[in-house]
Amino acid sequence: MDTIRTIAALVAFAVAWVFGAVGMVGLYRFPDPYAKMHASSLCGTTAVFSIMVGALALAPSWDVAARLVVIIVFFLVSSPTGGHIVARFAWNSGIDPWKAPAPPRRWLRRPAPGHEDGADG
Amino acid sequence: MKPDRAWRLIRMSITALVLYALWLVFTASADLFSLLTGAVGSLAVAALTHGQFIAGHEASLRSFAPRPLALAGFLAFLIYSMYASSFAVLAAVITGRISPRVVHFRTRLNSDLARMVIANAITLTPGTITLDLNDDHLTVHWLLATTRHSRAAGDLVKGRFEERLKRVWS
Repeated sequence: MDTIRTIAALVAFAVAWVFGAVGMVGLYRFPDPYAKMHASSLCGTTAVFSIMVGALALAPSWDVAARLVVIIVFFLVSSPTGGHIVARFAWNSGIDPWKAPAPPRRWLRRPAPGHEDGADG
Repeated sequence: MKPDRAWRLIRMSITALVLYALWLVFTASADLFSLLTGAVGSLAVAALTHGQFIAGHEASLRSFAPRPLALAGFLAFLIYSMYASSFAVLAAVITGRISPRVVHFRTRLNSDLARMVIANAITLTPGTITLDLNDDHLTVHWLLATTRHSRAAGDLVKGRFEERLKRVWS
């Protein structure tokens, strides 16, 4: 039983590590504040939640587990509220969201060579 | 007793009960001193903050109290969709292929609390962030947008949350 719990916790911590690392990479890869916030919600929400699930698997007794469940529920309420406040401030201060450049309109005229702009920025 | 006064008393006692239940979970002891301190503390905090916990303009408990089974189902679905969209955003970070777009749609939920919960659920799942919630009008930034049609976008972003939340708060 103890080995199963340890393995479950290790899997949860590994998932948390992957999401945290990729979220950090996305923070530098994405072009504008809104897209960066999606990447940061990857490490701010999913990674933290996975760590808490791992801690729940390792909980030594039922009262610790109950406390962890209460903390998880509070986290599910407070984390998106904080993210929403940041996003709402960015939106209200008029930051324009980044848009993928439109693909060349081939049915009107063939684009000049060297004018191809791809969809990835 | 005036109905206004009675409603205030009901709100205050519900707040105190919830706070006391949380206190019991967190202390996890049947010590007499701990039980008494918790009771006094939760009553005092409830007297100060019941207006924030249950707003005075809520018509009745029906718009506030969730159905427990439906709430558990909604939480399970929320966690599932959080992981599902996390993997989608993970793939987007690695490939760098994103199509961000701001979409607007309306929600059919009636109570303030249900609207707050759906805005929170949309923000919690990576890939969608609620930018603004104005009455029943949601402004959402969608990282992996596939459509710009308002109703289709609404169905894709919040449709499955909404039909579950309708069962939690009628």
